[in-house]
Amino acid sequence: MTRRACTLLVLRHALLVAVAIAMLTPFYWVLKTALTGENIYAYPPSLLPVHPHLYNFVDVWYLIPFPRYLMNSVIVSLLAVAGNLVLNSIAAYALTLPFRGRRAVLVLLLSCTLVPFQATIIPAYLITARLGLLNAYLGLALPLMSTIVCIFIFKAAFEAVPRSLIDAAQIDGLGELSILTRVLLPLSTPAIATNVVLAFIWSWNNFLWPLIITRDPNMQTLPLGLARFLSYMEDTTGALYAFVVMVLAPGLLVFLMAQSSFMRGLTAGATKG
Amino acid sequence: MVCFLTPSLLIFLLYRMLPLAWNVVLSFQAWSPLHPPSWVGWDNYSEMLYDDDIVWQALWNTLIFMGSQAIGVVIALGIALLVNSDLKGASVYRVIVFLSYPLMTVAVAIIWRWMYNERGGLINFVLRRLGIIDKPIAFLDSFGWALPSTIVANTWQVLGFFMIVLLTGLQSVPPHLYEAARVDGAPAWARLFRITLPMIKPSLFLCAVIGILNSFAAFDLVYVMTNGGPGHATELLITYIYKEAFNQSRFDYAATLTVAQFALLLVLAWAAHRAAGGNAGALE
Repeated sequence: MTRRACTLLVLRHALLVAVAIAMLTPFYWVLKTALTGENIYAYPPSLLPVHPHLYNFVDVWYLIPFPRYLMNSVIVSLLAVAGNLVLNSIAAYALTLPFRGRRAVLVLLLSCTLVPFQATIIPAYLITARLGLLNAYLGLALPLMSTIVCIFIFKAAFEAVPRSLIDAAQIDGLGELSILTRVLLPLSTPAIATNVVLAFIWSWNNFLWPLIITRDPNMQTLPLGLARFLSYMEDTTGALYAFVVMVLAPGLLVFLMAQSSFMRGLTAGATKG
Repeated sequence: MVCFLTPSLLIFLLYRMLPLAWNVVLSFQAWSPLHPPSWVGWDNYSEMLYDDDIVWQALWNTLIFMGSQAIGVVIALGIALLVNSDLKGASVYRVIVFLSYPLMTVAVAIIWRWMYNERGGLINFVLRRLGIIDKPIAFLDSFGWALPSTIVANTWQVLGFFMIVLLTGLQSVPPHLYEAARVDGAPAWARLFRITLPMIKPSLFLCAVIGILNSFAAFDLVYVMTNGGPGHATELLITYIYKEAFNQSRFDYAATLTVAQFALLLVLAWAAHRAAGGNAGALE
């Protein structure tokens, strides 16, 4: 390696290390605060946790109904994930078949991707109220239970399955539903993974929709719990940051374990239909 | 098996198409929770255009927020160029930069509130230690600093996503173009501006569209960090719409704002589509 190439390489790594530090610092700062046992407002703040212990994490359990928020979030996300897997896969299967009005349906779906969720909140609230689904798990999950991007992800995967396999299955007397569950879905595991990742992330992180349709504290999800805790306590207690760490840690661990499929999936869902 | 489509279509009808139409209807009505709605013609629109200063502030802030996405894209392009190619450890850097993107935005907002805090925040501490400022700045309570501060937090969160989108573009540039340029003795900046940027135009377009959508949807971050304040210094259209609808119970006026915002979104998406050469409608 020439001297110049070597300098360039070192420079590149130096720049990237600086970027990495900038990206990681906010995480560290919150973790440090969550672990700090003493007054978090002491100035100057220390760069390492002072008398580190887990007191704040225990405190969270007493200050807010953490298990309840967690359970609500898990139930809503499971509903959303199940809905996406079932509804998207059958819808995508129907779209791979020829039928009258197929083009019209495709155009309708593509134009729906142009409507951001934020532009629908007021009527969506009124509709949900008429359905009697305010403060209900189904009401929280319903708008997220089928997503257009995910339908197209399934459709692309199904179209990649050789036609001859489906013909063979039909000759063997398999019904439409069995073709989907026994032939197409087992051959589309990356699409299934993408659907699970996207549906989970979107419903787990969703804030605006639960904020609008849940007034009952017992039905609130984790993001609402965080916002509520913040409005009660302002920034006065380290427990808030322990709460943040508890909310983020599981997601970060799952992400680090499956990061390549996560990044692929999230990029595929870029336009978030 | 067309009936397989029914449940999904029903959801989209109920939560996409019907709301869109209902917004338009509401915008021509006087609506209140207790009375039946009555028609008021263009009243809501004229209020928006002539009698409401906040809406212009919110629009302006939204446009600034949108413009700031370009900064994120440029930084992300720099990082993407650095981690592209066979650099050792590139995947580690990629994961670190991407890490903040899939996180719950409410948590991100709380993290950044704390970073900006006057006493416990790292940013004030470092600035004071370096002697840049004497007294701590209350970033999120200051009319001048609040919007840029939320923009920094937003950029931090979406940077990794832009990076991945641009990396996908960079990896599709055929290497022989660079070899040919090198043989011809083209300098590095010429390779960047004449080969790389034109070749990754589709990725840049995707970033632009996502940036536009992001700035219309950046509710969570702003609501938790500043709730639009101080005054209306960080008010975005979406936070203003939420407040009008669900704090003031003015569904009619909020629907009017939504219609205006949606029209603006369509115009901007169309403009981006034209700027990308008109071939960007190719989804999938």
